Amino acid sequence: MHRTHGIDLSEVSVTHDGRRALGPLSLRLSEARIGIVGRNGSGKSTLLRVIAGLVTPDAGAVRVAGADVVRDRAAALRAVGILFQNPDHQIIFPTVIEEVAFGLTQLGAPRAEARRRAAEVLEAQGRAGWADRSTHALSQGQRQFLCLLAVLAMAPQTIVLDEPFTGLDIPTRLQLGRAIAGLSQQVVMVTHDVALLEGFDRVLWLDGGELRGDGPAATVLAAFTDAMQAEGARDPCWP
Amino acid sequence: MLALTLETPTWAHRLPAGAKMAAMALVMVAVLPASNVPVIAALVGVTAALYASLGAVAVRRGLRLLRPLALVVAVILAWHWWMDAVQQGALICLRILGLVALANLVTMTTRLDDMMAVIEWLLGPLRRVGVNPAALSLALALTIRCIPVLLGKAGALAEAWRARSPRRPGVRVAVPLALAALDDAERISEALRARGGIPRAQQPDRRRKRGTEWNDR
Repeated sequence: MHRTHGIDLSEVSVTHDGRRALGPLSLRLSEARIGIVGRNGSGKSTLLRVIAGLVTPDAGAVRVAGADVVRDRAAALRAVGILFQNPDHQIIFPTVIEEVAFGLTQLGAPRAEARRRAAEVLEAQGRAGWADRSTHALSQGQRQFLCLLAVLAMAPQTIVLDEPFTGLDIPTRLQLGRAIAGLSQQVVMVTHDVALLEGFDRVLWLDGGELRGDGPAATVLAAFTDAMQAEGARDPCWP
Repeated sequence: MLALTLETPTWAHRLPAGAKMAAMALVMVAVLPASNVPVIAALVGVTAALYASLGAVAVRRGLRLLRPLALVVAVILAWHWWMDAVQQGALICLRILGLVALANLVTMTTRLDDMMAVIEWLLGPLRRVGVNPAALSLALALTIRCIPVLLGKAGALAEAWRARSPRRPGVRVAVPLALAALDDAERISEALRARGGIPRAQQPDRRRKRGTEWNDR
């Protein structure tokens, strides 16, 4: 396996029910902070799932940190972690410590060691008291933060986030945003909130599954915002 | 919500899960054939004393967990009263209540994954015939995790119904609830795949390899 950093997509395309959802797309993503914007149904979430190896492209190849994330799931776990929009779709276990430890046992740690390292992760994030809390008793923002901790515990090279701030109140949004900004990992984030992407190294703008913009945050976001304002000013033509 | 485990640690939390579950099984085997007054009195007395030693929160939680049994107990008592065997009925009811309370006590003081480790160990021999104990224990954890999520979904659907209808929702929300559950299942399976798929049973000799092979297609 050749070692590279970042994400490589070559001629990737995905179809859902015969309709093209994404691509064909060829991208080399090596920047530390990458944003993805676009309208609903433009293929943003599909692109994230392709990068995380959860969707098998109909054509083309995807590599993250040199790993074939679709076929080699063991290597994919170390390469990329994903944070979904709704924490309830991500949390598998009834207690916090089990949720964090699960990924570590999946990477091969024995149960006791996984438990110990999970406790260290909680401790390091100032959440030692959470270990035995019920995941259901946490607030929405706390559950989203727990999902991030569970992903961080597995120490992937890249973390992809699918609108992680949806439904969070302003303080929680700011706190989670700070936690994400402080990550040493490569971050790829889908969001509708362009303000969150200011200062990102690169922004991709998807439209109908294809790339409509790609470049520094300031340039792409300005063009995107203008286009969205213009489209929003027209009356909808819902069929 | 489904808070089975007591969050404040007690002396009973420190006992090994296997020991508590074995003791529970022994008590059941001992009590079931011998439904006389001294045995049942001892069962109820010891169970009550154990609860008392864990504090007021445990007692309250324990009583609340027994509430679903009220109907069963009422039916049994009524039947035995009708048959003119009230004492026998009372013994049966106390036996049910005592054993369930004792089992709840084990659940309340044992972390789920400790219990799962014991179950996995017990199911270990079945591995020869192709059963994956780790998958079974994951299914158990998922079930417990999903109950409150599904209850929340059901509540939200009922609310959405009531917001636009003067009548009670009743069974008409069952189909949308089932569809929502299927949708959730799909997303959970995705989340599971994102973190390595269904775990393999822990085998000391090939620990480094286990875990993710299931999804290596």
